[in-house]
Amino acid sequence: MKGSVSSLYQSVELHQEIPPLLIGERCNPNGSKAFRESLLAEDWDACLKVALDQEARGAQVLDLCVAYAGRDEAADMVQLTQLFSGSCRAPLMFDSTSPETLEKVLPLYPGRAIINSINLEDGGDNLDRICRLAKKYGAGVVALTINSEGMALTSEKKLAVAREIYDLAVNKHQLRPHDILFDLLTFTVGSGDETMRDAAIETLEAIKLVKQEMPGVGFTLGISNISFGLRPAARKVLNSIFLHEAVEVGLNTAIVDAAKVLPYATIAEEDRNMCIDLLFNRNPDALMNFIDHFEQAKEEDGDEDTETLLPEELLHQKVLNGDKDGLEDLLTTLRGRWRPLDIINNLLVPAMREVGELFGRGDLLLPFVLQSAETMKKSVVLLEPYMEKLADEGQTSVLLATVAGDVHDIGKNLVDIILSNNGYKVHNIGIKVAAEEIIARAKELDVDVIGLSGLLVKSALLMKDNLGQFQAAGLSQPILLGGAALTTKFVAVDCAPHFDKPVVYCADAFAGLKAIREFEAGKLLSTHWEEGTVSRNRPGPQQEILDRSFNPPDVPFLGRKVEKNIDAESLFAYLNQAALFRGRWGYRRGKMSKEEYEELHAKTVLPLYQRLKEQSLNEGWLQPQVTYGYFDCVSHGDTVKVHSDSGEKVFSFPRQSNTPGLCIADYLRNKEEGGDKVGFFVVTLGQELAEQTKVLYESDHYHDYLMLHGLGVELTDALAEYWHEKMRIEMGIQEERGDMDAYVAQGYQGSRYGFGYPSCPDLGAHEPLFELLQPDEIGISLTESFEMVPEMSTSAIVIHHPQAKYFAV
Amino acid sequence: MRYICTCCGYSYDSDKGDEMNHVLPGIDFEDLPEGWVCPLCYAERDQFDCLD
Ligand code: B12
Ligand SMILES: [Zn+2]
Repeated sequence: MKGSVSSLYQSVELHQEIPPLLIGERCNPNGSKAFRESLLAEDWDACLKVALDQEARGAQVLDLCVAYAGRDEAADMVQLTQLFSGSCRAPLMFDSTSPETLEKVLPLYPGRAIINSINLEDGGDNLDRICRLAKKYGAGVVALTINSEGMALTSEKKLAVAREIYDLAVNKHQLRPHDILFDLLTFTVGSGDETMRDAAIETLEAIKLVKQEMPGVGFTLGISNISFGLRPAARKVLNSIFLHEAVEVGLNTAIVDAAKVLPYATIAEEDRNMCIDLLFNRNPDALMNFIDHFEQAKEEDGDEDTETLLPEELLHQKVLNGDKDGLEDLLTTLRGRWRPLDIINNLLVPAMREVGELFGRGDLLLPFVLQSAETMKKSVVLLEPYMEKLADEGQTSVLLATVAGDVHDIGKNLVDIILSNNGYKVHNIGIKVAAEEIIARAKELDVDVIGLSGLLVKSALLMKDNLGQFQAAGLSQPILLGGAALTTKFVAVDCAPHFDKPVVYCADAFAGLKAIREFEAGKLLSTHWEEGTVSRNRPGPQQEILDRSFNPPDVPFLGRKVEKNIDAESLFAYLNQAALFRGRWGYRRGKMSKEEYEELHAKTVLPLYQRLKEQSLNEGWLQPQVTYGYFDCVSHGDTVKVHSDSGEKVFSFPRQSNTPGLCIADYLRNKEEGGDKVGFFVVTLGQELAEQTKVLYESDHYHDYLMLHGLGVELTDALAEYWHEKMRIEMGIQEERGDMDAYVAQGYQGSRYGFGYPSCPDLGAHEPLFELLQPDEIGISLTESFEMVPEMSTSAIVIHHPQAKYFAV
Repeated sequence: MRYICTCCGYSYDSDKGDEMNHVLPGIDFEDLPEGWVCPLCYAERDQFDCLD
C-alpha cells in the first residue's frame, strides 16, 4: 500500500511515479517576506496568494507555518486553514511542533494532512502527543532526526535516531510506515567548516540505510540548507544537483521552491562536476573551486532571492557585506526563533569565520573585513540587553597589551577587533604596559592566552625579556607576539626558548585568530624556524667609488628653527597615494582585473579619501609643526660630529659588513676635507588626529578608525617629504618644487635617513637629535624606548651628497 | 609589466630593471631572483600589486 495525502479536491501520492513530490516552503513568515508582512497585517487574502502562486509554480503540497513572535499561532493557523482548504488544490502540511495548535487545526481540515514535525529533542513527550493526534486524524508525520543530544550529523546517528522514532511511531502509536516522512537533516557544505565536509554524504548515506532497514517509510529534505552561505546563483545549481542525487538514493519528497529547481539535464556538465566534487568531498579544494567556478554566474532574480532569504541567511549576508541597515528589525525577528546567545554563536560567529576565510584567500579586502566586524559588533550590542548574563564561562579569553615604552595602539586594537568579533573575550589593557602589570592582570583575569604587541625593535627585545619574567612568575598561558619589528626567526630563536609554553609569531590579526583556534584544539605550537631559508637581498646603491669632490651646500642659517605655520592642505600634494590606498588602507588589487580595480578606486577609494581629507581639514585635526636645523659637522670614521651652540653631538652609524660597505658617515666630509654641513628635522602632525582616531575606535567605527589612522600616517610622511624638499631648495641643491612620482623613488639630490630605519637602525640617536632640535617646543617627547609621542611624528638626518641613497646595514 | 610596492609606492618596471638589486632591464617580475625585495623599503614580493 502506498501513502497518500489529500485536500478537499484531490488525493496526492507521496511516492510519485517521477519523484520527488515538491512541497512549497513559502507560506512561512520566516521563509517569505511577502507572507510575513501579510500575516502581520492580517491580510489573509494576500497570504492565500502566496499559497496559490506556489501551486501555479508546481508545488504539490503546501507547507503552512505561522509561528511568529508576538502572534497567536493556533488562531492564525485556524484562520488560514479554513481559507486554504477551500481554495487550494494541494494538500496542506501543518508546520508546527505545538500539540495545542495541531489539536485545534487537524479536525478542521477536510482532507488528509501531514504534520511537520516530530522529533526526540525532549526525550519523547511531544512525539507521543503528536503521534496520538496523527493517529486520531489520520495525518502523516515528518520526523526529524533530533534527540536530546541535538541534531544527528553522521549517518550512523541519523539511522539510530530514525530507528528510535520508528519504534515509537509504528510499534507504540500504530502509525503505518508510509505515514512517516523522515527528514534526515541537511547541513551546508558551503561554510568551509572542516567537520562538515561530509555533510551531504552523511545525509545521502543515511537515506539508503533507513530505506533498507525500515521499508515503506518516505523521506523529505529541506534541500536548500545544503548550500547555505553560498551565492544565490550557485545555490540554485547545487540545490538542484543535490536534489537529483538524493532522489537517486530514495528521496521521494522535497521541501523546496518549485520554481527554483533546475532540470538536471539543463545543467552543464562542468557545473555538475563542480557540484558533485563538493557534495561528495572529492578533493580538498572542492569548495574553493566551486566558489571560483560560480563567481561569474549571473544572478537573474537577485531581488526575489533577497526577498525569500531566511532571516538567518539574511543576517549572514549582512555580516558578509558589512551592511548595518535594518539590523534592529532582523534581530527582533531572529530573537523570536533563537536565544540571543545562539544567534551569536550559531549565526554571527560562523559568518565572521567566513569573512576571515575570504580575507585569507584574498577574496575580501581589509576595509571590508572591518565593516563586517562593525556589523557583528552592532548585532551583539543589540542582543546584549536580551541576554540573561554575558556567558563568559567556557569562552576563551585573551589579554592584549602593547609593551613598555611603546605607545603603538592600532596593531593591538585591530587584533582586539578581530578576536572579540569572532566570539573571544578580549581584555585589552592598553599601551606602555610593564611586564609586572601584565603578569598581575593575567593572574587576576585568569586569561587563557596572552598577546603582546609593539612597533619598535626595542619593543621586540623587551618582549623577549618579558618572557623570562613571565616564566619566573609562573605564567602558564601561551604567548602570541606581533608587531612590525618581529620576524619568525627572532620569535623562534630568541624568544621561544625563554618560556615553557608556546610562543607564537603572528604576522597579522588573523594569524592571532588562527593561533587561538589551534590553542582551543590543543594543537598550538611555538613558532619554528628552519635554518637555510632563502636570505633576503640587501639592496642599495652599488657605487664602488664615492665622489669626494662635492662642496658643502650654502645653508640659510646655522642652528635650529621652529615652524608652526604650515598650511595643512598643501601636504596633500606630497601624499604617497599608492602607499595610502594599497598599503595603509588595504585596498589592494589582489584578484581583481585592472578594470575592476579602477572601478573600486573611482567609486570607493577616492570618495573616501575626499571625505576624510575634507573632514580633517575642516575640523582642524591636522596641526603640522616642524623643528629643523643646519649644522657644521665633520665625519670621523663611522661617526659624525655635529657642532652646535649646546656643544658637540656625536652620531654613530653602523657600516655594512659586505661590499660596498656603506656607512652614512661617509657621505659627509671629514676634517681633512674641510668638514661639511648637515641637516636634521623632526616633524609632527600633532596630537589631535590621534585623539580623533581614538574616538572612532571607542565608538566601534573600526573601518574609519583604520582609514583615518592610515591617512594620518601618510600625511606625516608627506610632511617629511615636504620639509625635505624645502630644505633642499634652501640649500640650493634643488631649484623648485618637484614631482611626487619621482620623490617616491628618491628622485632628488641626497637623502634623508629616518633614525631607526635600516641604514641607521639605532633609535638611540634620538637622544642627541632631541638635544639639537629641542622638539619639546612643538610638543614632542620621547618614551624610554626613544619613541616619539605624539605617534604621528617622524625624524631624519638630511644629507646633500648625490650618491647618498637608502641602503640597509 | 609594472608592479607597485604597496608599502612605499616604488614601481618595478621590467623595461628598466632595478639597479639597487643588480637586476638588468628585461627581467619579468615573476622571474626576479629569490630573495628579491623592494629596493626602497625592503618589502617582500607578495606586497606588490600588478599595475597593468
Ligand atoms: C606607518 C609607519 C609609521 C608611521 C606611523 C607610526 C605609528 N605609530 O603608527 C610614521 C610615519 C609616523 C612612522 C614613524 C616612525 N617609524 Co615607522 N613604520 C610604519 C610602518 C610602515 C607601519 C606601522 C603600522 O602602523 N602598521 C599598521 C598596524 C595596523 O600594523 P601593526 O602594528 O604591525 O599590527 C599588525 C600586525 O603586526 C599584527 N600584530 C601587531 N601586534 C600584535 C599582537 C598580537 C598578539 C597579534 C596576534 C598580532 C599583532 O597584527 C596587526 C594587524 O594585522 C612600519 C613598518 C611595517 N611594515 O610595519 C614602520 C616602522 C615601525 N617604523 C619604523 C621607524 C624606525 C619609525 C621612526 C622611528 C622613523 C623616524 N626616525 O622617524 C618613526 C617613529 C615614530 C614614533 N612615533 O616614534 C621602523 C621601526 C624599527 C625600529 N628601529 O624600531 C619600522 C619597523 C620600519 C622598518 N622596517 O624599519 N612610522
Ligand atoms: Zn617598497
